Amino acid sequence: MEHEEVRTFISGKNVDLLPGDNLEHVNLYAKWDNDQETRHYARNIFPTPPEDYKKGIEEEKKGTPQEMNFEIYHKGDKKIIGYVGFNHINWSDRNANIGMVIGEPEYRSKDLGTEAAALIIDYGFNELNMFKIGCGMYVLNTASMKVAEKLGMQREIVYKEQAWVDGKYVDEYEYRIFLDEWKEKRKELL
Amino acid sequence: MEKKEDIPIMNFIKGDRINLTPLLQKDINLVVRWMNDPDIRTYTRNPLPRTIEEVTKWFEPKKDEMKTDVDFLIYHKNDEKTIGMVGLTDIQWLDRNANIFTVIGEPEYWGKGIGVEAGKMMITYAFEELNLHKVHTSIYSPNERSLKAAAKIGLIQEAILREEIYIDGTHVDNHKFAVFKKDWLNLKKDEEM
Repeated sequence: MEHEEVRTFISGKNVDLLPGDNLEHVNLYAKWDNDQETRHYARNIFPTPPEDYKKGIEEEKKGTPQEMNFEIYHKGDKKIIGYVGFNHINWSDRNANIGMVIGEPEYRSKDLGTEAAALIIDYGFNELNMFKIGCGMYVLNTASMKVAEKLGMQREIVYKEQAWVDGKYVDEYEYRIFLDEWKEKRKELL
Repeated sequence: MEKKEDIPIMNFIKGDRINLTPLLQKDINLVVRWMNDPDIRTYTRNPLPRTIEEVTKWFEPKKDEMKTDVDFLIYHKNDEKTIGMVGLTDIQWLDRNANIFTVIGEPEYWGKGIGVEAGKMMITYAFEELNLHKVHTSIYSPNERSLKAAAKIGLIQEAILREEIYIDGTHVDNHKFAVFKKDWLNLKKDEEM
C-alpha cells in the first residue's frame, strides 16, 4: 500500500485506524471472514463472497450510522491487518458493542488487537459521547477474553449454552466498560 | 495495493484433498458449463438449458433474510482448481433440516471419492455449525455412483418414491436418503477415539 493512500482517521503507537468499508478491499475482508480459523472465533457461519461486502458498501445509507468499521493498519509494515468496529450503536442509551478481527495470523498475540480496541474505545467515549462500551465472545475465544481484560473491561453477563459451536452448546460472555472507568484506564493504555 | 482481480482463495472449510470456498463470480462460466453438460445434468436434474444471466443472478448477493441455501465451490488443493459444487438447499430453519447436493463437474475427478469427502464436510458443517437436525437427499435409481457415495458417506435410505422422475425416456424411482445429527456426531466421536 502506498503511503499517500493511507487515510489515517485515528493514530496509535503501532497501528492506525483507517476508515473501513473500502470498496477496493472487499477481497481482503472476504479472505479474512471466510478463513476457517478466523471465522471460527468471529462466528461467521455462512460463506460471504466479496460481492456481498460490495453491495453493503454501495447501498444508500441515511442518518447517523448504527455501525461503524475501521481498518487496522500496521504502521511499521504498512499493511492492513484486520478490522475493528462498533456494531449496534445505541445512540439514545449511549452504548455500543465492539467487533474485531485480526485477519493476518502473523499479527495475532502481539497486543495489536488490544491497541486497536483501546483506540476505538477512546474514540467512542471522547468523540461519540458513549456512556458504556461492551463486547461479547464465546467461552473458547480466550484471546478476545484476554483483550477485554487488558482493556479493563468487566465480565457483566454469562449466557449459559448460548452458542452452538463445533457440535456443542457453549457459554457466551459479555464484557463492558463505563466512561468513568475508561478515564482511569486510558492513562495506562494510551 | 491489492488489485481488484486478485481474488484470494477463501478456505471456508479445509479438507484433506479439497477445500470448500464461497461462490465467486469468476467461476460462473464454469458452473454454467457443468449445469448444461449432458453427462452431468441428467442426475443433477437440470433438464432445462441454463444461461449465464440466470446463474449470475443466482450468484448475486441476496437480502438479509435467513438463508435457505448455502453453496460452496469444491477447490482441489493440489491441482489448484475448482472442480465442483456442494451445498445445502431448501433449509427449513423451523424443522431444522435441509437437502444436500454434490456435483463433481470435472469428469477426470470422478471415481476418486472426492464427492464423498465433500459430502462429509458439508454434513459436518450442517450439524456442527448450523445445528440442523436432519440432512436429506434424493438419488434416482440408475445413478449407481451416487448410490454408492451415499452409502460411503453414511446416509441411510428412508424411502423409495416410485416412478417419481422422468429421465431419458422413462420414469425412474427417487431414493430418499437421510442422516441425523445425533448419529453423525456419535459417529465422529467414535472415529476420533
